[in-house]
Amino acid sequence: MITTKKITKTVTTSEGQLQILQPISFQVKDGESIAIVGASGSGKSTLLSLLAGLDQVTSGEIFLDDEPLHSLDEEARAQLRGAKVGFIFQSFMLVQSLTALENIMLPAEIAGLPDARKRAQAILDDVGLAHRAHHYPNQLSGGEQQRVAIARAFIGQPKILFADEPTGNLDEANSHKVEALLFKLNRDVGTTLVLVTHDTALAKKCDRQLVMQGGALSEPERTGDAQSREAG
Amino acid sequence: MSTVFSLAWRLFRHEARRGELTIILLAIVLSVGAVLSLSLFSERLQGALQERSASFLAADTQLRSRDPADAAWLEKAAEFDLTTAKRVSTRSMAFGEQKMSLVDLRAVNDAYPLKGQVTIADAPFGTESVTDTLPQPGEAWLDSRLFQTLNVALGDQVYIGDASLTIAGVVSEIPDAGFSLFSTEPIVLMRLEDLPATNVAGPGSRVNYVHYFAGEEAQLAAYYDWLRPQLNDEVHRWRAVSDDDSPIGRSVARAERYFLLASLLAIILAAVSIAVAAQRYSQRHFDPVAIMKTLGASGPMIRKIYVLQILFITLLGIALGLIIGVVIQQVVVWALADKVDVTLSVWHWRPVIIAVFTGAICAFLFSLYPLLRLFSVPPLRVLRRDIDSTVSSRTLQFGASGSAVFLLMWAYSQDLTISAILFASGVVLVAGLLVMTYGLILLGRKLGSGSMGPWQLAWARIRRRAMDNSVQLISFSVTIMLLLVVLVMRNDMVAQWRAQLPEGTPNYFLINITQEQKPALSSHFEENNVEVDEFYPVVRGRFVAVNGERVNTEVTKEEENAPREGREGLGREANLTWSNTLQSENRIAAGQWHGDSMLALPDGTFAVSVEADVADRLDIELGDSLTFNIGSEVVTTEVTSFREVNWQTMQPNFFFVIDPAAMEAFKPTYITSFYLDTERKAELTGLLQPFSSVTLFDVDARINQLREIVEQVSLAVEFILILVLAAGSLVLIAQVQASMDERQEELAILRTLGARGKVIRASVVLEFVIIGVVAGFMAALANELSLYLLQTQVFQMEGSWHFAYWLIAPLAGAVVVGLLGAVGCWRLLSLNTTALLRRMV
Repeated sequence: MITTKKITKTVTTSEGQLQILQPISFQVKDGESIAIVGASGSGKSTLLSLLAGLDQVTSGEIFLDDEPLHSLDEEARAQLRGAKVGFIFQSFMLVQSLTALENIMLPAEIAGLPDARKRAQAILDDVGLAHRAHHYPNQLSGGEQQRVAIARAFIGQPKILFADEPTGNLDEANSHKVEALLFKLNRDVGTTLVLVTHDTALAKKCDRQLVMQGGALSEPERTGDAQSREAG
Repeated sequence: MSTVFSLAWRLFRHEARRGELTIILLAIVLSVGAVLSLSLFSERLQGALQERSASFLAADTQLRSRDPADAAWLEKAAEFDLTTAKRVSTRSMAFGEQKMSLVDLRAVNDAYPLKGQVTIADAPFGTESVTDTLPQPGEAWLDSRLFQTLNVALGDQVYIGDASLTIAGVVSEIPDAGFSLFSTEPIVLMRLEDLPATNVAGPGSRVNYVHYFAGEEAQLAAYYDWLRPQLNDEVHRWRAVSDDDSPIGRSVARAERYFLLASLLAIILAAVSIAVAAQRYSQRHFDPVAIMKTLGASGPMIRKIYVLQILFITLLGIALGLIIGVVIQQVVVWALADKVDVTLSVWHWRPVIIAVFTGAICAFLFSLYPLLRLFSVPPLRVLRRDIDSTVSSRTLQFGASGSAVFLLMWAYSQDLTISAILFASGVVLVAGLLVMTYGLILLGRKLGSGSMGPWQLAWARIRRRAMDNSVQLISFSVTIMLLLVVLVMRNDMVAQWRAQLPEGTPNYFLINITQEQKPALSSHFEENNVEVDEFYPVVRGRFVAVNGERVNTEVTKEEENAPREGREGLGREANLTWSNTLQSENRIAAGQWHGDSMLALPDGTFAVSVEADVADRLDIELGDSLTFNIGSEVVTTEVTSFREVNWQTMQPNFFFVIDPAAMEAFKPTYITSFYLDTERKAELTGLLQPFSSVTLFDVDARINQLREIVEQVSLAVEFILILVLAAGSLVLIAQVQASMDERQEELAILRTLGARGKVIRASVVLEFVIIGVVAGFMAALANELSLYLLQTQVFQMEGSWHFAYWLIAPLAGAVVVGLLGAVGCWRLLSLNTTALLRRMV
C-alpha cells in the first residue's frame, strides 16, 4: 500500500540547510496498521506529512497505492488524498463554521459522492453522536470533536488513514473511547492505518511499530501481540 | 458546481449566523449606505441649488444675441420638450411729464420668467411681495428709483420712444437683473407686444435678445448639441447655470465640489474598512482552506467556494446598504425639510448605480489580495499551524488596493485633479507611515525594555504588530486624515462664505454724489444714526489704447466676452477711481502700489493699478502705457501694479485705480455705501430727501438672498460632515474590532498565565493610545498637504495652515482609538479564560 525508497527531507533555515529526515525506506502492506513513535521533534509528523502527500520529499520516492506521490503536483496529490486518504489530527481540525454532520459530509461532498448527508448521518450514528448532528465544533467536548473527526475520516471509506496523535488532546476516558472506535472502524472498513503517536500503549495496539529518532527510522522486533495477530 | 454552490452557501449561512461575517458585511453595508445616502442627498441638494441658481438666470439656460433667434431654433426647442421665454432689452430714455431718465428697458413675453420670481412693491421703496403676474399690455412696471427721478406716481403715464404706457406697478427685483454696481440704469419692465409701438428697437439701435430655455438637463444638453454648430460665437452667447461666475455661482460650485469630495472620501473610507475586514476574513479561513485541501479539494474548487461566498456577502451587503442609505438620506431630508428645500420629486438612479458599483468593486478588489493569500494556504497547515500563506507581497497588496481606490475615485468624480490630489496625499501618508512605523520599532526597543508592565506589554505588541500589520496603523491614519480633511475643509469654506457677508455688510449704495454734497450727506446720515462708508471718487472714462494701439470699444457690456478681431477692449465706459491708499480686500499681485513710494515716471504719465483678471483678459503687461479718454481730455498712464480683488465682497471694486495726481483736473462724483437695518427701510425716503440727484442702489434683497444661500449650503455641508464623520467612526470601530480579534490569542495566553485583567486592559488601552497618537500625527501631516493642494488647486481658495490640528488630531486619535480599544478589550476580557481559549481553536 505504501512504499518509500530513501526519502529525505531537508529544509532551509537561517543557519543553513537542515536535514530533518535521513534516507528512509519501508513498506506498509494493505490493511496493515503501523505506529510511528518517537520523541517530540524526532521527525514523526514530517514523515506523516510526506506519506500523506501534504508535503513533498527532498529526494527519494514514495508510492501510495502504486501512485508515485513524489512526482505528483499539489493538485494531483489533493485528488489522490480525496480519493484514497483519511485524516485524524491531534487538534481535530474541524471547520468551525460547519456543524458536526456537515463536517462529516465535507470529504464526501468534495469527492462528489452521492448521498453525502445520508452517509454522514449513518456514520455519525456509528460514532454515537447522532444527537449532536447540528452542533458546532465549539459546542462539543474534545472527545466528541475527535469522534466527529473519525467519522469524517471514514465517510469516504479510505484505503489509508493517517492519524496524527489522535488521543494527544484527550483525557484517559475519552482516549480509550476514541482508540476503540478508531480500531473498530479500521477493522470494519479494512483500512491501512498509519498512526503517529508517542503513546506507547496506543502504539502497541498496531501491527507494527516504527521508531523515529533524530530523523532516522528503525523497526524494533515485532511485539508478540502483533506477531500472533499477524500469524492468526 | 452544485456541490460547490451548496458548500459555499452553507458556509456563508453558518458564518453569517455565527456572526463571523458581521464585520465584512458591515463594511460593505457601510460603504454602500454612506455612498448612497451622500450621493442621493448631494444630488437632491445640487438639484435644489441649481434650481436656485437657475432663478438668477430666469431659466436653466439663456441664449443671448444681438439678433433675434431663428424661429426654427425655437421650434426645435419645443421638440426637445423645452419651455422657452423671450426678452428684448435696450437702454432707452423714459420720460415723465417733466423729467426724463436713461432706463434699462426690458420687454418680456408672457412666459417670462421660466425660473425664479418677480418681486414687486406696493409703493416705491414699499413693502415687497412676490408675484406671478407681469405688466399687462399697455402697462409698465418701474423701479422705485424712477418714481423719484421721473417724478411720477402709480397710474401716471411713462413715455418710451413713441409709445405711452400706464405705470401699473413697482418692480423691485427680477430674476436676471444681474448685479453690477455701475450698470445702474433703473429697470422698466414691459410686455414684448408693446415694443414695436415704441420704435426704440428698430434698425441701428443696440438691442439685446435673450431667449430662455428650461427643461431636463439631458434634453438641454441634447438641444445645445444640436444648436451649437449653428451659433456664431461673435453674435451668440449660451449661458448655463454652471457658467455662473457670480459669488452665488461660485459658492454653489464650491459646495458641489465639496459634496463630491465628501462622497469620494466616503468611498475611500468604505474601501479601507473593506480592506481591513477582508484581511481578517481571509486570516480566519486559513484553517478551513487547509482542511479542505487536505481532504482533497482542488484549487479551482476552493477558489469557487470563496469567490461565491464573497459574492453572497457582497450581494447581501449591497442590498442592506441600499436600504440603509435610502433611510439615512430620508431622515436627513426630513430633518432639513424646513431649512433647505430639497424635496425634489425626481428619483435619481445615478447614486444607486454608484453605490452598487462602489460596493461591488470595493468588495472584489479589496478582497483580491486576501483571497489570493487564502487560496495559497498549503494543506500542510493542518499539521503545522505556524505555516502561513505562501503569497505575501506588500507591493501587490498596495498596488492592487491603490489602483482600485484611484480608479474608483476617478470613475466617480470624473475629475483627475481632485482624484490625483487625494490619491497623492494618500500615497505620501502611507509612505510616511511606513517610515514612522520603523522609527517606532527602534524607539520601542528602548522605551519598552525592562520588566513586563502594561507599558512594556503595549510596546512589545506594537513592535511586533508594527512589523506584522502596518496596514492597521495606516488605515487608522487614513481614516483620521479623511475625517480631518472633510472637517477642516468645511470650516474653512463656511468661514470664507460667511466672511463675504459679515453682519452689517452695506446693503445700500449711493452714487452720483457731488463734491459739494459730500460733507452735507455725511453729517445728515450721521444725524440719523446711519454710518456711511468711505467715499470713492469716480469718473467715467473710455479706455482707448494700449501702448498707442487702439482697442475695440464699441461693444456692449453683455458681449464683452465675445471674441473679436483687433485688440480686446473693455467694451464699455470704465469707472475710474484714484487713490493713494490700497482698498481693503485688494492685494498687489505684481509690481508696486503707487501709493507706497514715488515712482519715477515720464512727465505727463501717471501710475495706474489694474485688476489682475482684467489685465490678463486684455493682455496688459506691467509697464504698458494705457490711454483713457475722460470727457475731452486724454490721460496717459503707465501700469505699475496688478491687483487681486476679492469680487465676492459687496464693496465697490474698480478695474483701474489711478494716481490722484493725474485726476486733479476732473470733477468726480462719489460713490459710497451704508448699512441700514431692514426694519428701518422706511427711513430711506427721509434720508435721501435733501439729495434728490443722488442715486440709491438697493442691494438688501440680494444680500439677504446670498446670505440665505450661504446658510443653506453651510447647513447641508454640516449634515454631510456628520454623515462622513459617522461613516468614519464606524470604520474605526470595525478596525479596532478586527484588530481585537488578532489580540484575542495573546490575551487568552496572558490570562491563562495569570496576568491580572487590570494589567492587560491597561496595556491594550496604552497600545491603542500610542497607535492613536501616531495615526493622528501622521493624519495631521497628510491632512495639511491634501488641504493645501485641494484649496489651491480645486476649490480656488487661499491655502492656509491648520496648526491647531497638529495638536487636536493626535489628541483625538489617542482618545477615540484608545476608547474604542478599551471597549473592545472590555468585551474580550468579559469572557472567561476557557471561553477565550476555546475561541482560539
